[in-house]
Amino acid sequence: MTSISAVAAAAVGSGNGNNANLDENNDEDRAVRLFRIKKLLKGLEAARGNGTSMISLLIPPGDQIAKVGKLLADEAGTASNIKSRVNRLSVLSAITSTQQRLKLYNRVPRNGLAIYCGNIVTEKGEKQVTIDFEPHKPINTSLYYCDSRFHVEPLLGLLEDDERFGFIIMDGNGALYAVLAGNTREILHRFSVELPKKHGRGGQSALRFARLRMEKRHNYLRRVAEEAVRLFIPNGDKVNVSGIVLGGSADFKNELAQSDLFDQRLQAKVISVVDVSYGGEVGLNQAIELAADSLSNVKYVREKRLLQEFYEQIALDTGKYCYGMEDTLKALEMGAMEKLIVWENLPHERLLLMHTQNGEESVQVLPPEKLNQQSHLVDKKTGAELEVKDSEPMVDWLAQNYKNFGAHLDLITDKTAEGNQFVKGFGGIGGILRYQVDLSLLERDEEDDEAAEEEEEEDGGGADAEDEDWGL
Amino acid sequence: MEAVEKDGVVQAAEQAVRKMQLSTDSEGEGDAAKRHHVNIVFIGHVDAGKSTLCGHLLYLTGNVDDRTMEKYEREAKSKGRDTWKYAWAMDLTEQERSKGKTTEYGVATFHTRHKHVTIIDAPGHKSYVPSMISGAGQADVGILVISARKGEFEAGFERGGQTREHAMLAKTAGVRQLIVAVNKMDEPTVQWSEERYREICGKLAPFLKQVGFRANDIVWVPVSGYTGANLRERIDAAQCPWYRGESLLELLDGLQLPPRPVDAPLRMTVVDKYKEMGVCMLGRIESGTLRNGDRLLLMPPRTPITVTGVWNDAEEVSAAGPGDSVKLTVKGVEEDDIHAGFVLCAESAPVEPTTEFDAQVMLLEHRSILTAGYRCVAHIQAASEEVVFERLLAEMDKRTGQIAKRYPKFVRPGSTFIARLSVSQPVCVMPFKAFAPLGRFMLRDEGTTIGAGVVLKVRHSASKVSSEGSG
Repeated sequence: MTSISAVAAAAVGSGNGNNANLDENNDEDRAVRLFRIKKLLKGLEAARGNGTSMISLLIPPGDQIAKVGKLLADEAGTASNIKSRVNRLSVLSAITSTQQRLKLYNRVPRNGLAIYCGNIVTEKGEKQVTIDFEPHKPINTSLYYCDSRFHVEPLLGLLEDDERFGFIIMDGNGALYAVLAGNTREILHRFSVELPKKHGRGGQSALRFARLRMEKRHNYLRRVAEEAVRLFIPNGDKVNVSGIVLGGSADFKNELAQSDLFDQRLQAKVISVVDVSYGGEVGLNQAIELAADSLSNVKYVREKRLLQEFYEQIALDTGKYCYGMEDTLKALEMGAMEKLIVWENLPHERLLLMHTQNGEESVQVLPPEKLNQQSHLVDKKTGAELEVKDSEPMVDWLAQNYKNFGAHLDLITDKTAEGNQFVKGFGGIGGILRYQVDLSLLERDEEDDEAAEEEEEEDGGGADAEDEDWGL
Repeated sequence: MEAVEKDGVVQAAEQAVRKMQLSTDSEGEGDAAKRHHVNIVFIGHVDAGKSTLCGHLLYLTGNVDDRTMEKYEREAKSKGRDTWKYAWAMDLTEQERSKGKTTEYGVATFHTRHKHVTIIDAPGHKSYVPSMISGAGQADVGILVISARKGEFEAGFERGGQTREHAMLAKTAGVRQLIVAVNKMDEPTVQWSEERYREICGKLAPFLKQVGFRANDIVWVPVSGYTGANLRERIDAAQCPWYRGESLLELLDGLQLPPRPVDAPLRMTVVDKYKEMGVCMLGRIESGTLRNGDRLLLMPPRTPITVTGVWNDAEEVSAAGPGDSVKLTVKGVEEDDIHAGFVLCAESAPVEPTTEFDAQVMLLEHRSILTAGYRCVAHIQAASEEVVFERLLAEMDKRTGQIAKRYPKFVRPGSTFIARLSVSQPVCVMPFKAFAPLGRFMLRDEGTTIGAGVVLKVRHSASKVSSEGSG
């Protein structure tokens, strides 16, 4: 369970972030803060405690601290009647901690307040956690729970972007419905149809065939329109997306856009009609690309743009790019990094190691598969053992420290096509540099590097010997 | 009014002449089986006149009767589009007719003295390239239609024009011979000018060579799809003194076709299916011989089926050979379980479907760079599947064809490289050297063709590697 360290680190992070950066409202900080909150909530969600001693407290903006204080006092009174001694003590201690936390505030912050408090069970035993933070958006829920888990659902709801765009992709083979919100792309529904092709023999007019064809096309159109209503107006009252993009090959999309069968409420939301040459998911990707101008504020599109810029740098060989953990860290240390791009689920751990003999501290960043190998725990020169003093996910460390290197941080997902390439092809970390740097000229641990590369090839190749005979 | 009437008279006379010729043609009907079957795809930029040319050929060979033609003419006129009348013989749907753009490839057949010709009229518009690809996959010979009209040739030949893309795709789809029909020679801006014709040929030839067509695989012919000049009859010397070669139909009749693997195990790619008194499949036989009553395997689902009827165009036949586009009625499978891109195989030697293969890919045009993890659409015969580049294995040196670098992180446009590709659903592919028709594919992304490739090795599972590669 890595969540314990993640929770603690992220909690501190978000606390700092909140207090220090309140007035810095630029997008990037927001994105990084959101990322931290997301991590924190994920950690909280996964945490489990003993008995019902985990307190979740959400206070909406405008509420009174005193009122909540009274509620807690009442709860403490009720809790003191719990029969089981262990449970009573832990609940009481959790409530007391919550009360103490609450005392730090004299009024409810602008966006409300969230406090989570309780004993988490981890591999290493129990651990007391007390976290308070202001949500990034006003929270409209009042909640008090004393349960065996933390209740974070209302906050997770806040994380979802409110800008949702609906996509309808239709071609001769079927239709696909999807929603693009934030940096996720969700396929809601897809179905396929069989429309008669024009395999008729050219030249012979087949009126009956043409009529059948028309009828089938009409039915298809009707079905697409009806499904659209079902998906985008779920309860029959309000459209649940802020815009709809229609995409498809041939004329279907235009017919749909103009058809009476298509609900008026949806028709009003159509922001763009684009021409794509495929149906299905491929068509969806293309439609997102083509409709990008109308969607420029969506994170998904911004992520694509950023990575395209990165790839452009590589394609033009400007030298103003770097990728891979080692090069990226070097570029960071040089201060050459302009935009640091990191996969938000980067699995690398950053270890702070201490030499057992002379007490020297060193830092290593390792991929998860190497963490268990222990080889990093031995100092190469002296053969002495190294002790792990601290370990935290690399992403968290970067999210906290990127400013010290004068870089901008962009956290990306592997959900876009470009993102997936970045993760698979470049290891999930890289960046665009301010000026040209020839990283290969910098001194580096040659042996170490070579070894690492070879290993990588061996792991992945599997059948290298056989790979030789492509019969070119 | 008079003019129309006069036209009518002239047409009637022409029709009579044609019928006579037809009847002489049909004397040879008895030995229809001796006619070679040839599949021809019409490709070229949008509005180059592909459909018109097809329609006119059908008319000239008597496959569209006068009454229908007159009807088309009337309808076209009422829409103010007189010049589209021939195209309407190929563009059957309302949608295609109202815009004058083919959206789906159309198929028709006619006979010449020595050939049984199936023509495939591919759509020229950029958005319909997928349909063009499946059309081209069924053809042996391509007719690249070029508009000679001022500005139109240039537009089609520019970067992003379909002349380039189609020629490339046709070559990759397995079209070996190309007839370049320089169309619209009757245009006021052209007027059968030799200079224009030479200019177009001069510009195209180097490009076609680059695509991979050798000079003796290409025939050049000036035509007019609308007036019909040089389609059936050779062009009048008074009009065009500089071209004394064969007319288009004569060229088609005299085509030399490559030998076909009649005795190889049967492989037929399924292009389309529908339901009409049982399940029907349309497809093209790539190798082997198919007989009525054969028991075959439909791959990848490995469904055993029985052939209950074989049609070669409208005629029912007892057997069909490689190169034939056939319609089958089959037993043992539901219509819903058949998809374009499936392969019918002999039971004794089925194609093993796979989800992973190594291929040599030529990256032509791409926005920036390509890395592992990249997804795009691959057209493998009639199938179009999303493929993922799992791993880049090696980059080739373009001049020597040898491996220049192993495990590159990324490749740039213009390079040739070997990569491991995976698809989500099993597809039928075979190493190019073992069986070319199932060994080549095209890669497209976001409406453009980004590259082409050939399969080097089929990987049936992570551990076992097919030995077909050595074959």
